[in-house]
Amino acid sequence: MSEQQITEKNYAHPEALVSTEWVAEHLDDPSLRIVESDEDVLLYEVGHVPNAVKIDWVEDLNDPLTRDYVDPEHFAELCSSKGIGPDTTVVFYGDKNNWWATYALWVFRLFGHEDVRVMDGGRVKWEAEGRPMTQEESSFGRADYPVHERDDSAIRAFMDEVREHSERGGPMIDVRSPGEYSGELLHMPDYPQEGALRGGHIPGAANVPWARAAREDGTFKSADELRSIYEGEAGLKQGDDVVAYCRIGERSSHTWFVLKYLLGYDKVRNYDGSWTEWGNVVRAPIER
Amino acid sequence: MGDRQSRVALLVDHSRNPRHEGVLEDADVAMPGGSPECGGSVVVYLKGDGNGGVRALSWTGEGDTISMGATSVVVEKVHDDGLTMQDVLDLSYDELVERLGRDVIGNRTRNATMGLSTLKSAIRKYLKDHRALPKERTVA
Repeated sequence: MSEQQITEKNYAHPEALVSTEWVAEHLDDPSLRIVESDEDVLLYEVGHVPNAVKIDWVEDLNDPLTRDYVDPEHFAELCSSKGIGPDTTVVFYGDKNNWWATYALWVFRLFGHEDVRVMDGGRVKWEAEGRPMTQEESSFGRADYPVHERDDSAIRAFMDEVREHSERGGPMIDVRSPGEYSGELLHMPDYPQEGALRGGHIPGAANVPWARAAREDGTFKSADELRSIYEGEAGLKQGDDVVAYCRIGERSSHTWFVLKYLLGYDKVRNYDGSWTEWGNVVRAPIER
Repeated sequence: MGDRQSRVALLVDHSRNPRHEGVLEDADVAMPGGSPECGGSVVVYLKGDGNGGVRALSWTGEGDTISMGATSVVVEKVHDDGLTMQDVLDLSYDELVERLGRDVIGNRTRNATMGLSTLKSAIRKYLKDHRALPKERTVA
């Protein structure tokens, strides 16, 4: 996988992706920091891309008390401790088709970090290509990351906004599995529903499971393939104001990345309250 | 138990080389637990001896290193220590997390205890179905 192959996929913002080859050539580049962010939090210890640092979405990005992300002071401290400055190019990668990598990237964008990218194919592709892995924990000198206020207005949606969006028929993508979308999951004995009292979806939302955006090797599908899914099947149109959601906002950050950077939708918001909020609120309208 | 590195190594070893993994065809109880979208899911297969003891125990699952490793650690303990059903019900979630390492588990206690909680559910179902009273320790 080279930059040429990313270019050939005709994305709106190809600069948001880098190839495994590009990362391999920039392992020692002091202007960038490689960040591994996984669902399986011990994978980094098992082995990681040389000079990569670990950011754990639970321990590092979530506020431990309030259901929210860390405050600006904590984010600045996190970045400083990882050797990330405000001008550092941050390249995210991880397991599960970069699911958590895009989540971490989305949080970095909430804090206004400009230069963020994803390694196309993530951890699975790096390993499949036999590229070097290390167990040595990377450490860099402290950087001086300024305290930026978090801007929740542009790419994050809250329940009141989503309710209003739904009422006026705004386009929404529910990125959960078809069973969760239909509400059947409540009745599936193998997979107890966790965190929500009601099953179904927000009225008006189309269902596009997040992983449909990825190929088997973990890389993103081409822009044409993605358009066929999100526009051909789900009915989105360029210029739409789109809300994406899932269970807690992590899978939908992947779809947010796809719509925003790969297909070039200017206004896409991730509703991180997602089904664990909507499915518990008294009198919240639900479709099945 | 040892340093953080060895605690991580234990979970990685168990998740990559799971002990007593597999379907138990003649199980009295097959109990699902966890969530495939949140850490992992398991099915615990239990066969009792009708006298409060565990005749056979296995599991299958899919999930992250912590959930799969911790499930394997717990099931191995039941086998190796010959725990009775009551012994298993008495196992403490806190002690399990302590043994695995709080510094490794962090906030993912649900992943770490998923296997044990599913095993306890399987035992409760067995006891309810068989109206068996847990008795003294027997060899697994």
